[in-house]
Amino acid sequence: MEAATPADPPRGRRLRSLGARLVIFFVILLVLVQGLGAFLVIRANSQIARQTIDQELGQGERVFRQLLTQRQARLEQAAAILSADFAFRQAIATNNTGTIISVLRNHGARVGATVMTLVDLDRAVRADTRDEGLTGKPFVFPALVEQSASTGKASSTVLIDGHVQQLVVVPVLAPDPIAYVALGFEIDDGVARELNQLTGLEVSFMSRMRGTGWQIHSSTLAASLRGELIEAFAAPVAEPGGFRILELGGEDYESRTAPLAIDGGAEIVALLQKSLEVGLAPFRRISTSFFWLTLAGLALLVAGSLVIARSITRPVSKLAEAARRVKEGDYKRHVDVDQHDEIGELAVSFNHMLDGIESREREILRLAYEDGLTGLPNRAMFNTQLDQAIRTARRGGTQLSVLLFDMDRFKAINDTLGHPVGDQALREVGTRVRRVLRDSDIVARLGGDEFAVLLATGGSSSAPRVVADKILKGLEAPFVVDGQQMDIAASIGISTFPEHGADAPALLRAADVAMYDAKRSKVGYTVYDPTHDERRQEFLTLLGELRRAVESEELVLHYQPKMSLADDRVTAVEALVRWAHPTRGFIPPAEFIPFAEQTGYISAITRWVLGKAIDQCGRWHREGLNVRMCVNVSARDLRQEDTLVQYTWAALLAAEVPPGMLCLEVTESGLMEDPKSAQSTLRKLRDLGIETSIDDYGTGYSSLAYIKQLAVNELKIDRAFVSGMEADKRNAAIVRSTIELGHNLGLTVVAEGVETEHELAQLRHFGCDIAQGFHLGRPMSAEALEAWLAAARGRALGSRASALRSE
Amino acid sequence: MSRLALLAAVLCACPAGAATLEIQVRDAAGAPVADAAVYAVPASGPADARSARTVSIEQIEREFIPFVTVLQTGTPVAFPNRDPILHHVYSFSPAKPFEIKLYTGNSPEVVFDKPGVVTLGCNIHDWMIAYIVVVPTPHYGRTDAAGAARLRDLPAGGYEVRAYHPNQRAAAQPQTATLDSPAANARLAFAIDTTQRKARYKPPLDRAKY
Repeated sequence: MEAATPADPPRGRRLRSLGARLVIFFVILLVLVQGLGAFLVIRANSQIARQTIDQELGQGERVFRQLLTQRQARLEQAAAILSADFAFRQAIATNNTGTIISVLRNHGARVGATVMTLVDLDRAVRADTRDEGLTGKPFVFPALVEQSASTGKASSTVLIDGHVQQLVVVPVLAPDPIAYVALGFEIDDGVARELNQLTGLEVSFMSRMRGTGWQIHSSTLAASLRGELIEAFAAPVAEPGGFRILELGGEDYESRTAPLAIDGGAEIVALLQKSLEVGLAPFRRISTSFFWLTLAGLALLVAGSLVIARSITRPVSKLAEAARRVKEGDYKRHVDVDQHDEIGELAVSFNHMLDGIESREREILRLAYEDGLTGLPNRAMFNTQLDQAIRTARRGGTQLSVLLFDMDRFKAINDTLGHPVGDQALREVGTRVRRVLRDSDIVARLGGDEFAVLLATGGSSSAPRVVADKILKGLEAPFVVDGQQMDIAASIGISTFPEHGADAPALLRAADVAMYDAKRSKVGYTVYDPTHDERRQEFLTLLGELRRAVESEELVLHYQPKMSLADDRVTAVEALVRWAHPTRGFIPPAEFIPFAEQTGYISAITRWVLGKAIDQCGRWHREGLNVRMCVNVSARDLRQEDTLVQYTWAALLAAEVPPGMLCLEVTESGLMEDPKSAQSTLRKLRDLGIETSIDDYGTGYSSLAYIKQLAVNELKIDRAFVSGMEADKRNAAIVRSTIELGHNLGLTVVAEGVETEHELAQLRHFGCDIAQGFHLGRPMSAEALEAWLAAARGRALGSRASALRSE
Repeated sequence: MSRLALLAAVLCACPAGAATLEIQVRDAAGAPVADAAVYAVPASGPADARSARTVSIEQIEREFIPFVTVLQTGTPVAFPNRDPILHHVYSFSPAKPFEIKLYTGNSPEVVFDKPGVVTLGCNIHDWMIAYIVVVPTPHYGRTDAAGAARLRDLPAGGYEVRAYHPNQRAAAQPQTATLDSPAANARLAFAIDTTQRKARYKPPLDRAKY
């Protein structure tokens, strides 16, 4: 948990950054939107402003032209009236140039003309107020004269001596035209101002002669701007619509050129202008408002986003805090978020999740520490409790005891009555045991049919024995499951803290050892005895050694002859295993076979023996020595029916031994352990042609009915009866009746343990078929047996001869 | 050539001393031209009128009547005003500048002693216009609506014949005519390129306000 912390980003920063991200996002959004808006508004404004100004300029130009036309008309009228003046005409008719000039000046002054010229009908200048030298020269604006001749008047804006003039030409009528008079009216700053007042535009009249620069003749602009105007205007910038922006004195002017006249080499224009600053002023105010609005919006937005972000991040950090508590296993404290939005829903769901996790964890714990079948604590729980109890006991200097027990022959219940019945029985065991214990004691099912009890006695050392007694008593009453009655007995091992172990594993192991002792000695319960443990250690060592013995051929087979009493011939041998221990020397089978049976290792031994014996039998068979090979198999081997049969059959095939040459011997008590499977296995063996024999007959309390059912060929009377015949007549009777019984069942009867000639003679007398024992021949190695058999043949001949002799 | 032959044939048919000259004036399109002044100047030289009778050019309904007057040099002309309003007749023509200031009824007589065309106007009625063609010969005439004029009682002899119309673009080429006998009749044809005279605005008459 500590290690995980540095990997996590700091919580505060992360949450702050959520808020910051919100704010930044909204600010960027607003700035983008407002910026775009501002851009569009400003662009639209300036477009509208320009359009408006352009419209104004367009309108201004129309008004301007209208005004010029009106002025022209006025001037034409004035000229017409002037030319019709009788005195004027009379003066002109005098043909006296001096007179004519003076009358021109006089009358021109009346209408405000600055230039007056009298033109002959032949378009030559008769008189000019400016220069007498022009007299007789062609008039420079003949087109105006022509127009005047046909329409009675003509006018145009012209450039005369560097002045822009509105020139009006009218005929002098008497009443037919006798001459034309041209009147020039200069367009000066006054005229421009007048037009400015009427149009609201800056007006400049400009001209240029071909090949020269522009020249300003009159203007409403301040004299200081005129130089700039010429420079700006001269720049050849063509804009569509006839509008262009000229910068004068740092101010932009939307400008429109109104061409007035192109006459000869002179081009005259009027430049109409309006200041964009003036035109844009209203839009500037809108833009300013927009800017302040954006600024205010931005401030509000930042504040609002922060509030919203906090309203999200605060409950989120509460949730994060709660999640951390969950990580530490605290499901009790619910998240306290008093909101009815999505966060609130999240908090509610989170709290539900806490409840869910808590209940599930409880369930998981229950499953982890409880035995599902009996509802008792399981092994894990028991170990925990035991650890805890040991700690407590150690602190308090008190004692505690562990009782470990399992059911005797429980496997038989499971196998014969089925697992459901077994489970039911185990539940009943749990219930009964629980009933005899105090509440402070703990009973747990460790697995299978194994139970454990923890007694926190703290008192006398006899307490565990009392409890063990109670448990055994509790189990005494028959169990009834599904209408089936059964007896269940338990063996209990007891160990006590601190004398038998300092910790839980040691105590449990000690109790386990004690339990096995109890089981072996069938005394119900046993308190752990360290000396038992030593034996057990030996036992375990032996098991390891036995394993090694099989693998490294320490085991050897000896063969004991079985002699047919009918003809005194050795017809069979019994293979007996011997252990040539490298350090302990020869170990007799009675010392390791029961142990091997107990541990299940007998199967491996059986297999080894079978293999060896059949192999040897085959070898002899090929050598012409036809003796049947008898091999002991344990009850456990019979239970592994298929394995035994298959293995045996394979060995016979491999050694090329006829099945009838093999006889498998099973002890009577072994058969009784599991009669059903024994019966089945024996039948299979017999079906294959393998001989079978019941060994140690008379010790297993089997009924004749049972024997009758078994597919066996041979009955071997236990050695205890045979060797006791001389001492006890009753044994002889048993032997005799057994022989008769066997014969009645059609079985060959073998007597083993024949140690004296007397016994042998009695057996012959009783009609026993085959005898086996030290008296006839000890178990011996294969080579020794071969030699022995060879000698026996000779001896048999001898004995027969001596018998004959004795008879 | 054929025209000259024809002319010769015609002239030969005229009686001496009482010859007549028939002149036809047409415009460029061949339409007859009325009010054209035609006159024949004898080869012997121009002649002024002696004790000629007064010719009148009246002002009626704010118009000069007639529009064209042809007269011999030295002929006095009266400008009787028949309108109930005043007129102010003037001429700035070099042949005879004069003015008769506002008057009504009879006017002083003006003798036109130089040949030439005199354009008459009224100073207070700009649209009023008339022409006096002063010719240095007693043999003159004015074409009628059919564009024809007849000069009678021409003594036999050679003449230079001219035609003039106020609307002419250019002066027509003078023609010569020789009248052999007093009874001879000669025909001359003139083609004058005229323009359409634009009538100047004449305000409608308001008798109540004269």
